Amino acid sequence: MRLQPLKIWSLALPALGFLAVFFFYPFVEVLRFSTWKWSGLSAPSFVGLKNYQELLSDPLFWQSVAATLEFALLVLPGFLILAFLTAFAIEGQRYERWVKGLLFLPGLVTVGAAATAWYTLLAPEYGALAAFVPIPAWDQEPFWAMVIVVAFTLWRYLGYGVLVVSAHLKAIPQELIEAAKVDGASPGQVTRFVVLPLLKPAALFLLVVGSVLALQSYVAVFLLTRGGPFGATRVLGYFIYELGFENFRLGYAAAVTVVLLVFTLLVAWAQGRLLEER
Amino acid sequence: MRHVFVALLVLLVALPFFWMAYAAFLPPEIVYSGDLLSGFGVTLDNFARLAPEGFWFRLGFSLLVSFVVALLQVFTGLLAAYALWNGAPLWGVFLFTLAIPVELLMVPLFGVLFQLHLLDTPWALVLPFAASPFTVMLIYQGMRGLPYALVEAARIDGAGERRILFGIVAPVLYPALVAAGVLAFAAHWNLVLFPRVAVGERFWTLQVWIADLTRRYPADWGLLSAAALLSTLPLVLVYLLFERKIVETFEGSVKG
Repeated sequence: MRLQPLKIWSLALPALGFLAVFFFYPFVEVLRFSTWKWSGLSAPSFVGLKNYQELLSDPLFWQSVAATLEFALLVLPGFLILAFLTAFAIEGQRYERWVKGLLFLPGLVTVGAAATAWYTLLAPEYGALAAFVPIPAWDQEPFWAMVIVVAFTLWRYLGYGVLVVSAHLKAIPQELIEAAKVDGASPGQVTRFVVLPLLKPAALFLLVVGSVLALQSYVAVFLLTRGGPFGATRVLGYFIYELGFENFRLGYAAAVTVVLLVFTLLVAWAQGRLLEER
Repeated sequence: MRHVFVALLVLLVALPFFWMAYAAFLPPEIVYSGDLLSGFGVTLDNFARLAPEGFWFRLGFSLLVSFVVALLQVFTGLLAAYALWNGAPLWGVFLFTLAIPVELLMVPLFGVLFQLHLLDTPWALVLPFAASPFTVMLIYQGMRGLPYALVEAARIDGAGERRILFGIVAPVLYPALVAAGVLAFAAHWNLVLFPRVAVGERFWTLQVWIADLTRRYPADWGLLSAAALLSTLPLVLVYLLFERKIVETFEGSVKG
């Protein structure tokens, strides 16, 4: 006995209603906003595609694209490798549950507070650790600024990755591993030829979630480096914030948002295909 | 070898927490001397200095707002998940919204809130987050694990849908609902840029306030750490209380 369609829809109505007003409507409106010159305070004026034209020749935009890609290329491999290594290392150990619980914690704690702890701990020259180990000047050197943003992001999300890998790891039937051992496979071969191929879905899933996340991650940038030094960590998400709410160029910021949205959807779509094919 | 790796990782992950807890009790003299080994002291001064900065009001306000959002999300999520479970063809819609977080739509959302005259009101912090595809997904995954016969049997007995959902399904699903609620709470609690943009200083959340405090007193570690510690404590306590449920629900949902 199933429900009538009308009743089903009415149940989903609250969620759909809120999403319609605060997700789909802005999603459409952003296209309109991107044709405006608008400070957010004064009345907007229509400028057609001028924002997009400007964007193409804006060196700051291209620098931001490069920073976003650099960030993603550093975060993704680190995220995957660390998540796999950790999940393998703690598998079946007495402390497994305990470690998982701890690794999950940074993602939940007050992110502003976490950034404060990182900042006072790792600030070059006068941070608490600077007295004991040399801390690279990440407030001045672009490379190290990116490293600290990447490290902070990994710190926050590693627990999530470990949970995903670990859940898949536990789903592997023990008989498969036993069978391989009976056939004379060494522990290394079991991992290489039996376990790892079976974990491919986990890797793909993390890649999908991770790259969408990497495209949008800018909270760490805001809290730790503010896009600096010299714009080295000004990823697209932060670029949008800066344009819209510090330089009050909302129309232009909307155009950049459209580009980032298209980019995100393309990546999500391509990876969705990838996931389906598995 | 693996133990060393795990130990090192745990140490690195936990270090900022220990430091936060330690620095919150550091007397200012030690901080300003620039040499942490110059002496050892414990003081509660840092906590006392938080009150005049308006810390307690922010904490209460943030707790309230995030709690309301979590309740709303679980409520709308439960209804939507039930619709999905009953065959509503909406999975694609939620999946699509899942790929794009609200914070990415900050610029158009600002415009929409402006049109609706919601900017600079507490509603701007609540309404855009009243429904979340992530919460819907978590609850739906939990629901799929239940036998649908439960619902059918109740229907044959003549129970209304409201009775079935809130009287039968919700109680069984309680762990997943709690986990989804805690995660929703944490996600909202951790918004930094959106509240800064959508509301003025009087409605700033704790996050924005702390980021601002860091900017105003960059060298006052004691004060900053005390604020950081106290603002983290509620979340950590809730997490520790429900840790098993949260991790399990999460693991269940990613198994696919």
